Amino acid sequence: MPRPLDLCLRMLLPAAGIVLLAGCGHAPTHGSAAGSAAVASGDTLPLEPVTAEQVHERIREPGARATLVNVWATWCGPCREEFPALVALAERDRERGLRVLFVSADFDDQAHETRHFLAEHRAPGPWLVKTGRDQEFIDGLDRRWTGALPVTIVYDPAGKPVQFWEGGADSARFAAAVEPLLATQP
Amino acid sequence: MHALRSPIARLAALAGLALALTAGSARADLVIGDAVPMKDVKMTGVNGKSVSLADVAGKKGTLVVFTCNHCPWAKMWQTRVTEIGNAAGKAGIGMVAINANDPAEYPEDNMDGMKQRAKQLGIKFPYVVDASSDVARAFGATRTPEAFLFDAEGKLVYHGTIDDSPKDATAVKDAWLKNAVNEVSTGKTVTTAETKAMGCSIKFRAAKTTS
Repeated sequence: MPRPLDLCLRMLLPAAGIVLLAGCGHAPTHGSAAGSAAVASGDTLPLEPVTAEQVHERIREPGARATLVNVWATWCGPCREEFPALVALAERDRERGLRVLFVSADFDDQAHETRHFLAEHRAPGPWLVKTGRDQEFIDGLDRRWTGALPVTIVYDPAGKPVQFWEGGADSARFAAAVEPLLATQP
Repeated sequence: MHALRSPIARLAALAGLALALTAGSARADLVIGDAVPMKDVKMTGVNGKSVSLADVAGKKGTLVVFTCNHCPWAKMWQTRVTEIGNAAGKAGIGMVAINANDPAEYPEDNMDGMKQRAKQLGIKFPYVVDASSDVARAFGATRTPEAFLFDAEGKLVYHGTIDDSPKDATAVKDAWLKNAVNEVSTGKTVTTAETKAMGCSIKFRAAKTTS
């Protein structure tokens, strides 16, 4: 099994331009809970189009005590404001079993901006982008969601949503939302 | 092994519970069939005149669209919203566009910006400020743009977005709001009463507390 540092180096070698090192050097304890290490350049960062059902599939993947889904967009002011706090939380609590899934609601022709924003903020992967019609995605993810951005939903290990809110939040609110799940012994 | 062993974890759990209990409870979400809320509250428009929702009501209905100047989604639909609103007025449905955003968040959303936008778009209906954001709260509005259409009796018959193609007006397949306006103005039942799309969250002003 390759060591984390080896993985980072392998991913870094082909990358051109800005190279981000955050996440390298330690292995995620909970495997997929941590997502990919944030190693990519703004030009090569691979975006993955997803439907709501595919997001749910990610949520149901084993290995996380809590999964936080945040739907955001580069054009959304509150999304940009809260983004660093979420990235910090993802990094801090990765080894405690927190999985953070960022889902961009940007349009296809904004992929360049999306990639660079994610790289600039050292966002952990997977780097998901909403695809398909809005209403199907919104209701498919959670019927309580009106479509306002950002939206944040926290799921337990069984994939049940335990926290839901629309609009921006700060690091204290994010931490409070995931802590009960992370603090619960398996 | 005990869950929630530490005091910090217990506090966090309580905070999480509080969040769960309060999430989604701040809005008074309208549902289909509800009456126009806060219809007598006066709001100042770009022409300097104050109007209420009761003032703008048409004989056949009232169309209320929460929008703003800065939001990319509102911008993508603004020409179509203007066309729908201008046509609605001729069809007996009073239209009002309401900006509930706090301009402290986005200066572009201030009155000067509204005046410029109204002139640029050729808006023939009131474009007003919800100065406390309380009208938006009373509607349960969350995003821009978000439309609420009431029939002649003042009952909500359509709530949602404009159409299914924000970026490209030529690719619209479902012109939900336009269709609903046409149906209400001709006395028909609205075919699709509720739709959703993504949009910018409304930048509410702080709610006033009473003591």
